[in-house]
Order: sequence, then structure tokens, then C-alpha cells
Amino acid sequence: MSVPSLQRLRQVPRHLLVCEKGHARDARSRHAAHVRDHAYNCRVSFLIPECGMLPEVLKSTIADVGDYYLVRNLSVHELVAHEFIDAFVKKGSCYALTYNTKIDQDNTAALLPTGKLILSVDKDTYEELGLQGRPSQYSGKKAMRYIVTIDLTDSTFHPDSKKRNRVLWALKEKKPLEFDFLLAWYNTGAEGSTLMSYFSKKQIQALKPKITFSTLRDLQCPVLQSNELQGKPEESCSTEELFEWLGAVWNQVSLDNKSSSFLSTYCCPQPNMMVEKAFLCTITGFIIPEKIIQLLEQLCCYFGEPKLAYWLTLTVHGFADSPVSWRESEHGFHKGGENLYNFVIFRNLDYWLQLAVGTYDDCPP
Amino acid sequence: MARAEAAAATFERRVLRGAAEHQYLRVRLELPDGGARPSVAQLKQLVVSALRELHGEVGAALPVDILTYDAKTLSAILRVISSGLVKLWSALTLLGSYQNRRCAFRVLQTSPFLLALAGNSRELVLD
Repeated sequence: MSVPSLQRLRQVPRHLLVCEKGHARDARSRHAAHVRDHAYNCRVSFLIPECGMLPEVLKSTIADVGDYYLVRNLSVHELVAHEFIDAFVKKGSCYALTYNTKIDQDNTAALLPTGKLILSVDKDTYEELGLQGRPSQYSGKKAMRYIVTIDLTDSTFHPDSKKRNRVLWALKEKKPLEFDFLLAWYNTGAEGSTLMSYFSKKQIQALKPKITFSTLRDLQCPVLQSNELQGKPEESCSTEELFEWLGAVWNQVSLDNKSSSFLSTYCCPQPNMMVEKAFLCTITGFIIPEKIIQLLEQLCCYFGEPKLAYWLTLTVHGFADSPVSWRESEHGFHKGGENLYNFVIFRNLDYWLQLAVGTYDDCPP
Repeated sequence: MARAEAAAATFERRVLRGAAEHQYLRVRLELPDGGARPSVAQLKQLVVSALRELHGEVGAALPVDILTYDAKTLSAILRVISSGLVKLWSALTLLGSYQNRRCAFRVLQTSPFLLALAGNSRELVLD
């Protein structure tokens, strides 16, 4: 075997873990912006040590995560329709993402709350569409995937403009694209028409997020110090150690192995302490950032009253097949499409934020 | 857990590029119906023998941990040091038999973050 191929055998796929610390009540803190910028979330979970029963206010926040909709066989041009833009895109935050499409094989579309419609399409579809786009960042020298971004709220995108007519023509006649879409809409103002009534002629289904609760007994928790991201030997654990531990807890990995064990040598990072019970909650569905911010706020308020816990965590998993991760930065699927983040909220409302992305992703903001 | 409640943390940001020590694989073993299912120790033995078959004694010495194993679904989460990912993956792919019966490892998901394996949107059934 030649030397370069031996080196490639040891190569690790590119990945990034960004760790931040700050204070949740700091006026300059951008933690809520990071949540807002991550539009498509499929799983939100939190862990509270030393908690057996959830406070009522948190329970109602979870119950209020809200419905989302699944529309079957929806043509993309319906999202570009003048009526849709006026009723939903301009009057709140409208989220749409294609369901059961794989970004490394299929065409994918997504509508961001900023009014940007993003199409991630293969080369053939791109050439048939005839809309202006750019080659995907992760498609190599010979581009096989293209990204088309259409700003639906742009002033030049009014009903009679040439640009809009061309987009409509491309999506209606030139190359009609049809997908199953996940939709969610958030507005704070007056009630307008709802997605349910707007798409009543389509196959639309209102779905509720799935919520599960569980309690873990005698859990080993790492000792953390909010001002020590890197940890201190013998005193506190680092942010990477916590991130792995959290993965172990959510995957039900046993935490007390011996270093000589034949099966697994993973153990809870040192120093740690035994917690009598810990409360775990998982919400899965199409969860919009506005609701996650509310949940995050309520979790901060959890420490308003004296509690035994020193910290709690909130983890959010993004869709592996969404065309964007944070803001509009392109996202792809290499060996995995991971894009997730995790908050650790401390008793004094300091926070740690960990943002993790895989190979085909930009550095999180 | 936090001990001294020090003054509010000042903002700090660390970017770790490709720093993960380990890679994680969620795998499923496929076996023909009706036959003995391996115990967790046998599964580990199978993985080590797969490594030995393809990469020799040095390959067999690669530290692989079986973090979880569900004997019902024959699925497991494996942990391997980052530089050993390709070796482990290739060994699993090329393994063809268990106790003289045909078998195959399916790699369902892989990530440098164990937490990412907890939420796979590709397996999400919403409706």
C-alpha cells in the first residue's frame, strides 16, 4: 500500500464543535439569536437533574409547542403564489421543509421565515428549471447540485414583475416540482386565515409533536463550573466531556464501566457526582425556533426558585436533510447530516452553548 | 456540578475543528431467521475477528467499545478512536459470516458526536 492511501485510512471526516459561554441575562448575549437562526428542528430534549416532577409552567410551555402541518403533493409554485405570500409569508414566520427527501439524492425545498425560498436541486433539474442559481459549495469541481434562492418578500417580486412571472412559469410549466411539505406558521398579531383552511383542498394533515417523559434514577453527572469551558483537572469537566456524556445519557449507554472491561471502556467523566433522579423530556416533530426560545426562557426561570440542581441542559437536533443549517448557510449530507446544538443553563443563569456540525456545513455563526 | 457561584461568566468562544477523539457508529447485524443471536460479548468478539480478518493483528488491537446493544433488534452503538473509523467500517462491511451462517452489518448512522445518534431525522415517522 502506498503512503498516501495509508494516511487516508486514518483520515477523519471534517466536523466542527463550537463552544460558547455567556450569561443568559446579558443584553449583548446572542444565545437567542442562535436559536432563531436555526430554522428546522426535529427533536428538542431537556434534562433536569434532581427533578422528579415538572413545574406546571414548564408543562404548559411544552403543551403549547403547537401543531404543524403535513401537506402531500404540494407544488412548489403554490408557495410562490401571491395569495400565499400575502397571507402567510409577510404576516409572520412561515416555515416549510420537504418531508422524506434526502438532500444527497433528491431535490429538496425549504421556505425560511425570512421569506427566502431555497431549492437544492440536481444538475438535470437545475438545467430544466432555467432559474438563476449557484453550484452547491459541497459538490466538488464538477457541480452536480445547484442551489436556487428566491426572495419572496423582495420589492421586485410583486405580482406583475417579470421576475415573478418567470419563477411561476419555471415552477408551473417548465419543470413542475412536487413534494410533501412540513409547514408551520407563527404570528403574534391578529388571527388571519390558517394554513389548514388555505390548503383545505389539498391533502393536509395537522400533526401534534410527540412528547415523552422519563425519569432516570441514580445518574452519574459530571461536575461543571460555568466559567471553566475547558474544565480543570480534579475540579470540573470540560465542555467536550459533557457533550459526550449527554450523548451517552440520551442513547442509554451504561456509564460505569471499568477501564479493563472487554465490552466498553466508556465511563462518566471525572469528577462526577451521583444524582438521585433526573427528569428527561423529548419533543419530536417540526418544531419552530419561536417555541424553543419560549422553552429556553422557561427553563431559565426554573432557577427562579431555589433548586437542588446546579445546571440543566436543552438539546436541539436539526433535520439532517434541510438545505440550510444556521441562517442561510448551506447544509449537506456527507457521512451524516448532523446539525445540532445544546445549552447548559447554570443556576446563576450563565450558559454554555455547544453547536455541532458535520462535514458539509459552514462554521455556525 | 458547579461549586463556587462566581461572577457572571464573560463571553468566550472556542472552535474545535475536527477535534473529536472518537467516532460513533450505529449498526445493525442482519442474520438469517431462526438461529442463535449473539450475546453482547459474542458481538464484540465478532467485531474483533472482523478487524483481524481484514487488518491483521494490528487491526484487531484497535480499541472498539460497544456502548449499547439490543439483542432483540441486533442493533448496537460502537465507539472507535477517530483514526480507526475507516478500518472499523471496512472490516464490518466485508464481514460475511457468523458461526458459519451468512450475516451482514448495516451501518445505520455515523457521527463524531454521540449526541447526534440520539436524533436521526431520517428515521423520523411523523404521520
